Amino acid sequence: MATGTSSSYPPPPPYYRLYKDYLEDPESAPEPPPPVQGTYPLFGATYTTDVVLPTLEDQGVRQLYPKGPSIGITYASSLFLVDFKRELTSLNRELQLHILELADVLVERPSQYARRVEDISLIFKNLHHLLNSLRPHQARATLIHILERQIQQRKQAIEDIKRRREEAQRLLKESLQNLDGHLA
Amino acid sequence: MDIISQLQEQVNTMALLALNTFGTLQRDAPPVRLSPNYPEPATNPSSAEETLDIVEQPKMMSTALVQAAKKFDTLVAALPLSGEEAQLKRIAELQAENEVVGLELQKQLEAAEQELKQAQELFNLAADNCLNLKKPD
Repeated sequence: MATGTSSSYPPPPPYYRLYKDYLEDPESAPEPPPPVQGTYPLFGATYTTDVVLPTLEDQGVRQLYPKGPSIGITYASSLFLVDFKRELTSLNRELQLHILELADVLVERPSQYARRVEDISLIFKNLHHLLNSLRPHQARATLIHILERQIQQRKQAIEDIKRRREEAQRLLKESLQNLDGHLA
Repeated sequence: MDIISQLQEQVNTMALLALNTFGTLQRDAPPVRLSPNYPEPATNPSSAEETLDIVEQPKMMSTALVQAAKKFDTLVAALPLSGEEAQLKRIAELQAENEVVGLELQKQLEAAEQELKQAQELFNLAADNCLNLKKPD
């Protein structure tokens, strides 16, 4: 795979020797390392294990829709005091208005397009951020759906088993009667 | 596709439409007169269909934009949103019910396996008796 000119991959770490007697004695080999917590570096970039959607302020983007009243509650719950439908429709209207404004500016003062284009891209960023913050809600809804389906499947299985048991009992009684009939 | 992805696609579509609209209009716009001192811009004898396009295209593109915006609004109206606490409560309820139903299922399963074992033993006895009735020669 690696040609002579490019650098070859580093060899695998020498820990494999510690597992030589694993088949005979599983205790002699070391345990695997615990999962990484917090932030970790990977190929020169740092990643975090805490998967949360960064707020718009974190990305340096102005937030156009109002946050919920911040009285010391966490980010996630303050977000759910945002009326998503209303904010999304009002952002849509703002977007249309800004597009019209851009068209006007291009007709009359073409050199001032930059500010308008910036505004439009800000609106788009806000729109996408709002939609992304709906994903945890969708995840919970999916979980609810899965649980409901599992409950339904279990109930179905219970009905099935009950029916088969009764069928088996009936068959046994029948066969008993048949045998008695035969012998008598 | 789920509704949030549809909404995201619709936002991207609107951006694409706006981009195409402005790009096409800027590219195809005829030169405009800047001041009365400069001579009239030379209007090349353009073909009839070009002038038709220049008149029709803005209309078509703007209707496309407005329709995309309307579709976005209908999608937003179709969002099945509910509060976070309501969802968490429902999840806790469903988990409890799942536990109960799971225990019931396990009980039924064990009883059925028990009966199956009994039936198998009885069948073995019957088969043995049947075979033993035939005197070995």
